[in-house]
Amino acid sequence: MGERADVWQGTLALMVLKTLQALGPLHGYGIARRIEQTSGDLLAVNYGTLYPALLKLEQEGYISSEWGTSDNNRKAKYYKMTRAGRKQLEKEAREWEQTTEILARFLSPGKESA
Amino acid sequence: MRKFRALLLRLDGLFRRERRERELAEEMESHLLMHIADNLRAGMTAEEARRQALIKLGGIEQTKETYRDRRGLPMLEIMLQDFRFASRMLRKSPGFTGVAVLTLALGIGANTAIFSVVNGVLMKPLPYRQPDRLVMIFLHGRGLDHGPMGNADFLALGERQQAFEHVAAFSPSSIGFTLTGLGAPQMIPGTSVTPDFFSVLDVKPDLGRTFLPEEGKPGGNLSVIVSHHFWEQFLHADPAAVGQSMTLDGKGYVVIGVLPLDFHFGPHNELWPVLQLRPAQQRPPYWLLPVGRLKADVSEAQASADASRIAKQVQEQFPHSEDASAVVVPMKELTVGNVSEALLILLGAVGFVLLIAVVNVANLHLLRYGSRVREFAIRAALGAGRRRLICQLLVESLILAASGGVLGLAVAYGGVRAMLALSPDVLPRMEEITVDGRVLAFTVLIVIATAILFGLVPALRCAGPPVGQSLKEGSRAATSGRSARRLHGALVVAEFALALVVLTGAGLLIRTLSQLESVNPGFNSSHIVTALLSLPRERYAKAPQITSFYEQLLERVKNSPGVRAVSITMSLPPNLLELTNPFHIEGKPDAPGQAAPAIAQIPVSTEYFATLGIPLFRGRLFLDEDRSPATHVLVINENMARRYFPDHEPVGTRIQTGEYNPKGDWYTIVGVVGNVKYEGLGEKDQPTMYVPYFDSGWCPWFVREMYVVVRSASAPEKVVSILQSAAWSLDNQLPLAHVRTMDQLLYESVASSRFRAVLFCIFAALALVLAMIGIYGVMAYAVSQRTHEIGVRVALGAQRRNLLRTILREGTTLALLGVAIGFAAALALSRTLAGLLFGVRATDPVTFLTVSALLMGVAFAACYIPARRAMRVDPVVALRYE
Repeated sequence: MGERADVWQGTLALMVLKTLQALGPLHGYGIARRIEQTSGDLLAVNYGTLYPALLKLEQEGYISSEWGTSDNNRKAKYYKMTRAGRKQLEKEAREWEQTTEILARFLSPGKESA
Repeated sequence: MRKFRALLLRLDGLFRRERRERELAEEMESHLLMHIADNLRAGMTAEEARRQALIKLGGIEQTKETYRDRRGLPMLEIMLQDFRFASRMLRKSPGFTGVAVLTLALGIGANTAIFSVVNGVLMKPLPYRQPDRLVMIFLHGRGLDHGPMGNADFLALGERQQAFEHVAAFSPSSIGFTLTGLGAPQMIPGTSVTPDFFSVLDVKPDLGRTFLPEEGKPGGNLSVIVSHHFWEQFLHADPAAVGQSMTLDGKGYVVIGVLPLDFHFGPHNELWPVLQLRPAQQRPPYWLLPVGRLKADVSEAQASADASRIAKQVQEQFPHSEDASAVVVPMKELTVGNVSEALLILLGAVGFVLLIAVVNVANLHLLRYGSRVREFAIRAALGAGRRRLICQLLVESLILAASGGVLGLAVAYGGVRAMLALSPDVLPRMEEITVDGRVLAFTVLIVIATAILFGLVPALRCAGPPVGQSLKEGSRAATSGRSARRLHGALVVAEFALALVVLTGAGLLIRTLSQLESVNPGFNSSHIVTALLSLPRERYAKAPQITSFYEQLLERVKNSPGVRAVSITMSLPPNLLELTNPFHIEGKPDAPGQAAPAIAQIPVSTEYFATLGIPLFRGRLFLDEDRSPATHVLVINENMARRYFPDHEPVGTRIQTGEYNPKGDWYTIVGVVGNVKYEGLGEKDQPTMYVPYFDSGWCPWFVREMYVVVRSASAPEKVVSILQSAAWSLDNQLPLAHVRTMDQLLYESVASSRFRAVLFCIFAALALVLAMIGIYGVMAYAVSQRTHEIGVRVALGAQRRNLLRTILREGTTLALLGVAIGFAAALALSRTLAGLLFGVRATDPVTFLTVSALLMGVAFAACYIPARRAMRVDPVVALRYE
C-alpha cells in the first residue's frame, strides 16, 4: 500500500463516481466493465481492487448500496450515487481537469517559449 | 468529517462480522456469475470462462482480504485478536497468572501508596493561592538559625516593611485553648494569629468574615475564626453561629467566621483567635512566628534584606538586646523540609521492591515462554512475523501489568488509609494525602514501564533462536539451553541483590528503633500518669491564686488512695521542653561578645525527683522550705555540672538566670541529679537546671500551664479520675488535657522512627517473599525440565545424595552471588540512611551479616523442595517421561 496505490485508488474513485452518474445505479461487475470499456483497452482493471474502493466510497458516504436483481434475474448489490457523491464528483473532476491542464502546459514547451 | 464518518463505520465494521462476510461472499459470487455468463456469451468453454473470470478478479480470497482490511481497522483487529488470545492463554494457566498479578499488585500497590504520600506531602503545592510567594520570616541570631520574633520586632516589621503584600504573625498554642460553656470544659487545639493572617494565605471563610485591623489592637473586640470541623462539632453546623460568643481561656470571644472544609495550616488547628499585640517595653520574649506573602517582583534575598534592615533598627531601639538579622524562608521548605529525605528514601526502597517484582514476573514469564517455545516456533513457521510474536508477548504482559495495577490501586488505597490511621502526625500535611489524578498517572506509568520491562525479556528471547532450531530441539531441551539458563540465573541473582539492599535498610531502621527504645530516659517511666492543666488568665490573674490552686491540687491528689507521689512541672520528658534560659555563674563574667549559653530551665514542685525516680548524685533535693523566696536554690543535672563546673564543685556555687543583672538575686546550687531527656530520646544529654516552682523569685508571674505527674500503682484510668475530681473540686471549669501514661509518651516520641521501620519491614518482607518465589520457581522448573537427565544419571548409578547436593549447590550459588552483589550495593546505598539512624552505623556489620544470612537461609529452604523432588525421581518413570 504505497503512495502509488493511493493515487490509483483516487482515480478509480473518480471513475466509479462518473460511471454511476452516467449510468445510474449499477452493480460492481457492471461498473468494472464500464470503466474498462470507457478506457478503450488502455486500462486493465483488476476487478478485485474495485470492491475495497466501493467500500471506501460508501463509508465516506458518496455512494450507497442495496441488494437488487440484475437484468438476467440474478441477485446483485447495486451502487447508487448520493447527493454528497455528486458534489464530490464535481469537485474531483474540476481538480483533475486543473491537474491535467497544468501538466499539459508543462509537457508542451512550444507554447511556453512562443 | 468524511474521514471521521468512515472511521466510525470501520469501527462498526469490527462487529456483526458474520453477516458482512456472507454479504461479501454473495457479492463476489454474483460478480463471478455475471462475468462467467458474459464470457460464455463471448464463446468460451465453461471451464475457460470461469478461469478467466477468476484471473480478472485477482483471486477471490485476496480480494476478500483487501476488502476486509478496508472494512475494519486491521491494526485494531490484530490487537483485539492478540488481546483475546492473550487473555485465553492467561486464563489457561491460572497459577502463573495469579502469582504474576499478585506479585505486581503488591509491587505497584506499595509504590502507589508511597507515591501518594510523597505527592501529598512533598509535591503538591501548599493549598493556598500562589504558594511559592509565601514565606516565613525569622530572626537569625541568639544561636538560632530560625528564631521567632518578639512583639517589638514584629510590630516594626508590620509597619515598615516594603517587600511583602501582607505580613502576619501566629503563635501556635502547644496546649490549646480552654473552651467552656459548650458542654464539659475542653482543651481545643488552636493558633492565635494577627488580623492579616488570612490575607497572607489569601483564604476566605465559608461563612462570615476575616479579622478587621482594629480587632488586632489591644482593647479591640476579641474575635475568633473556627475550623469547619469545629463548627460542625460544637456549633451544630448552624449558619447563625457566626456572631455567637464563646469562652476561651475564660475570656469571651465572638465567632466571626467559619473556614472552608479543606483549609489546613499545621496539624489539627480548630480555633484561630485574634492576637492583640501590645507595644513592647523590651525586646524579648521571642514567641511570634511571622508569615508573609512576597510582592510579585521581590526576591527572597531582597525581602531578607528589607526585614534585616528593620531588625537592625529594633536592635538600636533596645541596645541591650542581642544583634540579629532576619531571614526569609519559603513556607513549603519549612513545612516539609525535614521529612523529604526520609520520604524519598522510602520511595527508593519501594522502587526496589517493584524492581524485584518485575524481575520475578519476567522470570515466570520466561519460564512459561520456555514451555511455549514450540507454540511460537509453529506460529512462526506458519508465517507469523517476529513483530507479531513480540507484540503478542507484550500484549500478554500488558494485561498482566494492568490487572496488577488495578489490584495495586486497591492495595494502595487500603495501604494509605491504614498508614494514616495507624500513624497519625508522623508527617506534616498528612491530611492532604489522597489518591488523586497525579497518583493515578504515576500508577499508569509504572504499569506500562513494568509491562515493557518484564514483557521484553521473553520477547527478546523469542527473537533469538531461529525457528527451525527450536522445533528440532523439541520440548525437553527447549529452555535447558545454556543461554536460557544463564538468563534465569541472572534474574535470580538480580532479585537477591535487590532484596538484600531493602533488607539491609529495614535491618538498620529496626536496629535504630530498638536502640531508641532502649535509651535510658533518665527516670523510671512505669506507673506514671501525666496530664496538662491550664489555668485561664481571667480567673487566675494573680500569683497567689495560681500557687494556691496548685498547692491544694497537689495536697488533694497526694492524699488520694494509691498515689505514691505527685508533682507539677513545666516541661515533660522525653520531648516536651518548654523553656530555655541563659545563666551566669557568680564571679565568672560572660566572655565579651559571646552570648551566655541558654539551657533548659524547668520549674518543678518539691517532689518532682521522687515522682519520676530521678537519682540524686550530690547535695540535696528540694525541700518544702525552698518555697520561701528567701532561700533561692536550684538543682542542676549531672551534664551541666560536668560541662560548666569541670574543675570545682557546683554545689554551693551561685548562679543567675535570664538577662544578667548585677543587682539581681543569686541562686545557690544545692544538688546534682541524673540526666533526663527532654528533647527526644535520640538527642544527647543536655545541661538542665531545675528551680522550685513555688519560689516566686525566679519568675514573679508564675506559669499557669503545668503538667501534673502522678506515680501510683493503681490503674491509669483510676489515676486520671482521681486527678479529674481533684481538679474539678477546686475549679469545675478546668479541663484535663494531654492525658497520657509516661510509657505512652515514650512510645509516641519515637513514632516517626517506628513509622519508617515498619514501612521498611513491610517492604523487606515483600522483597524476601518475592525473592523466595523467584528462586523456587526457577529451581523447580529446572528440575522438572531435567527429569529425563536426572533419570539417566540415577539409572547409571548416581548417588541420590549427590543429586540433592548438586541442585542445592546450583541454587545457593545463584543466591550467594546475588547476596554478594547486593552486599556491595547496600554498603554504597546505606549511607543515604545515615541521617535516619540512631545508635547504629550505616555499615553496621551485625545488620549486614544477619540479613545476608537470613537471605541465604531463605534461598536454601526455597531450593530444598525442588532438590528433594530431584532426589526422588524414579528412573523408570523419568526415562519414559517424554
